[in-house]
This record gives sequence, C-alpha cells and structure tokens, in this order.
Amino acid sequence: MLEVQHLTKVYPDGTVALKDVSFSVQDGEFLVVIGLSGAGKSTLLRCINRLIEPSGGKILWNGIDVTEADPKSLRKIRRDFGMVFQQFNLVHRLSVQMNVLAGRLGYVSPTKSLLYRFNEEDYRLAEEALRKVGLLEMAYKRARELSGGQQQRVGIARALMQQPKVILADEPVASLDPVLAHSILGYLEQLNKEEGITVICSLHYLDLVQRYASRVIGLRGGQLVYEGSREDIRRMTDDQFKEVYGEEAERIAPPSLAGGTNDA
Amino acid sequence: MMPKFAWIFSILLPGLGQLVLGQVQRGVFALSGFLTSIALAYWRFSLLAPRETTLIGVLRRSLERRPGFTSFVLLLIALFWILGILDTLKLAHPGPGKKVRGLLSFFFTLSLLLFVLGWQISEIDVSRMVKDFNKAMTPLNRVLWPWKAAVTRDTRVLSARAEILEGEGTPPGKPVSKPGQPYVYAEPTVGIASKLDEKGQPVPGTIITLHGSGFEPNTKTDIWWEDPIGSRFQVRIGGEYLTVITDAEGKFSVQLPIPYSIIPPGAVKGPLIHYAEAQQIFPVGPLKPSTPFLEIVSRMVETIVMGLMATVLGILFAIPLSFLAARNIMHGSWIGMSIYYLMRFIMNVVRSIEPIIWAVIAVVWVGLGPFAGVIALTIHSIASLGKLYSEAIEGIDHGPIEAVQATGATKLQTIMFAVIPQMVSPFISFSIYRWDINVRMSTIIGMVGGGGVGFVLLQYVRLLDYQAAGIAVWFIAVTVAVLDYVSAEIRERMI
Repeated sequence: MLEVQHLTKVYPDGTVALKDVSFSVQDGEFLVVIGLSGAGKSTLLRCINRLIEPSGGKILWNGIDVTEADPKSLRKIRRDFGMVFQQFNLVHRLSVQMNVLAGRLGYVSPTKSLLYRFNEEDYRLAEEALRKVGLLEMAYKRARELSGGQQQRVGIARALMQQPKVILADEPVASLDPVLAHSILGYLEQLNKEEGITVICSLHYLDLVQRYASRVIGLRGGQLVYEGSREDIRRMTDDQFKEVYGEEAERIAPPSLAGGTNDA
Repeated sequence: MMPKFAWIFSILLPGLGQLVLGQVQRGVFALSGFLTSIALAYWRFSLLAPRETTLIGVLRRSLERRPGFTSFVLLLIALFWILGILDTLKLAHPGPGKKVRGLLSFFFTLSLLLFVLGWQISEIDVSRMVKDFNKAMTPLNRVLWPWKAAVTRDTRVLSARAEILEGEGTPPGKPVSKPGQPYVYAEPTVGIASKLDEKGQPVPGTIITLHGSGFEPNTKTDIWWEDPIGSRFQVRIGGEYLTVITDAEGKFSVQLPIPYSIIPPGAVKGPLIHYAEAQQIFPVGPLKPSTPFLEIVSRMVETIVMGLMATVLGILFAIPLSFLAARNIMHGSWIGMSIYYLMRFIMNVVRSIEPIIWAVIAVVWVGLGPFAGVIALTIHSIASLGKLYSEAIEGIDHGPIEAVQATGATKLQTIMFAVIPQMVSPFISFSIYRWDINVRMSTIIGMVGGGGVGFVLLQYVRLLDYQAAGIAVWFIAVTVAVLDYVSAEIRERMI
C-alpha cells in the first residue's frame, strides 16, 4: 500500500507545485490523476519514486518512508515502481532490446552492466516482456526507428523488466492518437487486472478516465480538489469536470471513443 | 510650429530635419550615412590632389584628373541633400489619413553614393580585367592541365669536342677518333674570334666548319662553345641557337664563325684554346614521375597526416574541456558558473583567431615545418570542438536520463545508458566535420611556413613554375572534394 501524506513540493524558483497532498493507493488499484497542465500531476508522480525531491511530507511504501531512504534502499524502492512517460524517453541510439534491458539496471551489478552486458536470465526476461507487448520481432532495431505507439510499448516493456509492484504512468497517451491511446491503456489495464500491478496514471481526457480508472483524484494548482470512485466518475458531469479543469476546459475526445458514456 | 520649419534644419544638414520631426532612426541613419560619404569622398578627392591644400583646389584638381567620378559623386551629394529636404517636407505634411511616409529615393541615392565611392576605393577596373585577360591565359592553362610536368624520362647525352686556337701559333691537330664514339673535328683549327668594332658593330671572325660523325642519325644536335677561361655557352647565330640535324649515317657538318668572347687581359697564359662541342640529348627509358610530382605527393601525405594529428589531439583535449563549458554540467554553484563563463570566453577568443594566424605564431615558436601547422590547427580545433561538444552536452534530452534513473540505476549506469548514447552521434559527427576542416586548412597553412602542400605550392608560384603549382592545386582540389564527400557520407550514416 502506498500512502502519500501532506506532500509538498516547492521548486527553487518559488513555484509551489504541490501543496499538502494526501491520499492512499491500495494494491491493485487503477488510480487516475487528472488536472490541467501545470496542476502538479507530473511532479506528484516523480515525487513518489523521488526523481524529484519532495520539500515536505511523507510517502510511505508498505510502511517504509521513501523520502527518508538512503541511496541504497532508494535503489531497491525504485525497482518496485516502473515508470512510463509521455515522451516515451527511450534512448534512441540503443536497440529496443537494450532499452528494455535498461529496466533491469536496478537489479544487476553496476560494474557488469557498464559494458552493456546482462545475465542470461535478464535476456530471457527481456524476450518475455517484448512478447507481452507484441514487439519481439523489433528487438534488434534501433529505438528511434519505431513509431510512437511502438515506442510506448517498449517503454511499458522496460517498466515490466523491473518486475514492478506499481506502474507510474505520466500521461502515457498524450503524444499518441486516440486509437493508439486505447491500445496502450489496454496493456496497462491488462497488467493491472492479470498481474495485479497497481497503476497510477495521469490522463487528460475524461472519456479515457471513465473507461479505465478504478479511482480518480484531481489536482488543481497543486492541491487535491477531487477524489472519486469508479461509480463517481461514471456519473461525473461536465460541471464537475470543469471544477477540476477550470472554466475554459472542454471535452476533447470524439464521442466514438467515449465508450458508451456519452450521456454524461 | 516645429514640423513646419523642420525642412530648414534639413537645409543645414541632411537628417537633422528628420531628427527634429522625431524620426530618430531615419534621421540618425541619414545623418551618419551623409557624414560617412562626405568623409570618404574627401579622402578620395585629396588622394587625387595630393599637393592641393584648399578645398576648392582639391575639388578642381580631382575634377581635372577624374572628371567622371568626381562630378558624379558631387552630383549625388547634392541630390541627396535636396531629397533630404523634400523628405522632411513630406514627413511634416502627411496626406490626410495616410501613414507618415518619406521618400524611398532619399535612401536609394545614399546607397548609390556609397556604391560609387566603394567602386573607386576598391580600385575596380573592368576594362583592365577584360583587356589583360590574355595575360592570365598562359599560367591558367598550365594550372588547369599541368600533367606534362608530372612525368619525366631519363636523358642520354652524346657529345664530342674539337680544339680551336685563337690568334697565331701551331694549329691543334685533328682529335683522335674512336670507333663507336661520337667524333668532331674543325676546319680550320686556327683563326680569329668575332669582335666588335669602334661603333659597336659585330665583325665576324674566321668561319670554321665542324664535321661530326658517329652521332645518333636524324637527330637534332646542339652546338656549344667553351672559351679559354672556361665559360660554356650555346652558340647563337642571328639570335637563334645553332642546331643541325644529323644525316642517316649520324654525320653532319656545320659552319660558324668563331664566336665573340670577352677574355680579360692576362687571364690566360699561353695559347688561347677554344673548344667547339656538338651535343645530342635525347630521352631514354620509360616515363617516370618528375621531381616536383614526387615532392607534391609527399607533401600531400604530410598535409593529410597533419590534419589527422591535429584532429586527434584536438578531440583529446576538447572532450574534457567541453564538460567544463557545458551549462547543464557546471550550473548549480558559483565556482562552476565562473569556470563555465571563463571557458566559454577563452574558447570564443581562440576560435575567432584564424588557424593561419596561429600558424604564424607557432612558426616563431617551434620553427618552420609541419609541427608548427599541427600546433596551429590543434589550438583552433580544441576551441571549436570544445564549443560544439559542449553544445551537444547541453542539448541532450533529459527524458531518457530520468527514465533510466527511475529503474533504480546508479549514477554511473545512468551515464552509460542515457548520457553517452546520446552524445556519441554529435561527437562523431563534429569530429569528422573538424577533420574535414583541418585537412582543408592544412593545405594552406604551409603558406606561412606551417608545412604541408601549401608550402611547396607557394614556392612554385613564386618560381613562376605554374605547371608544378598546377599539380599541387589539382591534388588539393581532389583531396578536399573526396574528403568532403566521405565526411558527409559518414556523418549521414552516424546521425
């Protein structure tokens, strides 16, 4: 179980990105974080595995305080959190296989991996992960040769290599077209349902939120302004939506993707 | 009040009126343009009239010497002045509802004025260029197709000589002939040399006949002469070199007067013995590369190696320095940023000084030769590559770094998996580009003594050996073209 308590982040230039945010995530949830650009979604996700150092508050992962962890235990904690990014963040020059194997870096001995070498077991895991996302035949291509959707699947495979308990997905489909968005979220849902991996995902489109989330939290100006269950979201009206997104927000996704919840 | 009388200011000085009207940019531009052209015009006029002291005198004299140029410039200045007044009037009284617009011709006149002055300052002379084009043809032809000078053949010399006595005494006997050897004898073997009379007119001396045999048949034979003090020269008759073609049996006979030669009194003791000599030179054996060709080839190799060495050394020094000049590496601390700015400053200064200037310094430092060139190119490469590398480091995408960090990778693992793979392409690309530049630069760095092909190229040009120079030019052109292609090709594949 992940507990976020009074989390605050103030950047050196004085920007308050997160202000006293508290919530908890049960194992196996598909938690979606919504909010405008700049609301603090990315900062929140990055504070959980301390890619960004929180300024205050606590993050408890199965009772261990992540914010207090020393580098060695932080490395172990990070292994539990696979991460998927909006811009995929693959290393373009390296092969797909090597990008996937990079997900193993938290496990392998630092010296051996410096020469881009891994164990037999790691290669086997990489093959398995690539098969899961349907890209096994692309293993030896360079990452930049892949399309956007394929790159994001490689990103998911890389996260899987960590054998994570949680996947943090920072707007994983914002750079993809609607059809690919469903395909990528479908993979995440599958992992969530079949392997019990907790997913914490930030999303923009209400339609996608309604289709995939088991619970939703909304951020606005760095503060938690909404919290709702699966049923709450299904009933969510445009007015409530605007409360999170601000007055100027509109639904963007075309009705065909709304998954039968057009009546909302 | 003011706009009404702004044109009066324009009468005083072009641009002033516009300034009064608040058209600052327009006014400053016109005023500075006017003052510049007045200064330039006065400078050129006073050069045409160096002895005149008064303005009127200068103008009169330069009108005499260059009427076209001087009157045209004066006309344009006057026109500019008048158009400036009209411009002010137009600016002061814009039409109803129209935007304030001045005269375009005002600035066009200024441009034309500066162009005319520039034409005269840079001594452009189209008629001379056209007229003297034929002067350029000979060297140009040699440079464009120099390959005759690239090859040579061994030569064989056949020669024989006969003694001739000048003045009085016992005539020398016939030389002894040996079978299979060329043989020459003179008839008579004694006589008087050609002289100059009191009026300086030549008076031919005794005509002698040279008989030769045993030479190569049907071959051009040169006649040489050696006087009693040992000066050897080719005999001329009526300004033309005396030559004779041997017959089918290798024999010839030719008549010539004993040539004129100056022998200082007392320089020779005893009888004045001259030698007449017949000589045949003909190429033998296969074609082989000429000396200049071999010299240029070895210098070309030297050039390419110089470029390579400078590139390798430049890369070795530039990599560590580039990290010190990368903002994203150095930011954070006060000391880091000071080093960053210092490195940037030094690199910019060093880069702005051309390699050829560095070569001049390096030649003073380590002497003439390729080492000086390598030093010059290395210094410039470090600064250029340092800047390019540091920009590549600054430009790396933070995303992959974040992604690798998120897996629990250590700092070193993050560098290996996310930083280095991103830098490989730009580093290789910039290094090859620099290699290309360095080889190109090293072809000319020899001109200031930095070794390489430029050194011999300049030497051949100064010796007016345009064919050898042409060979060097060809080598440079081909090398640079090949390099250009190869480096572009490699870079394309890398990126």
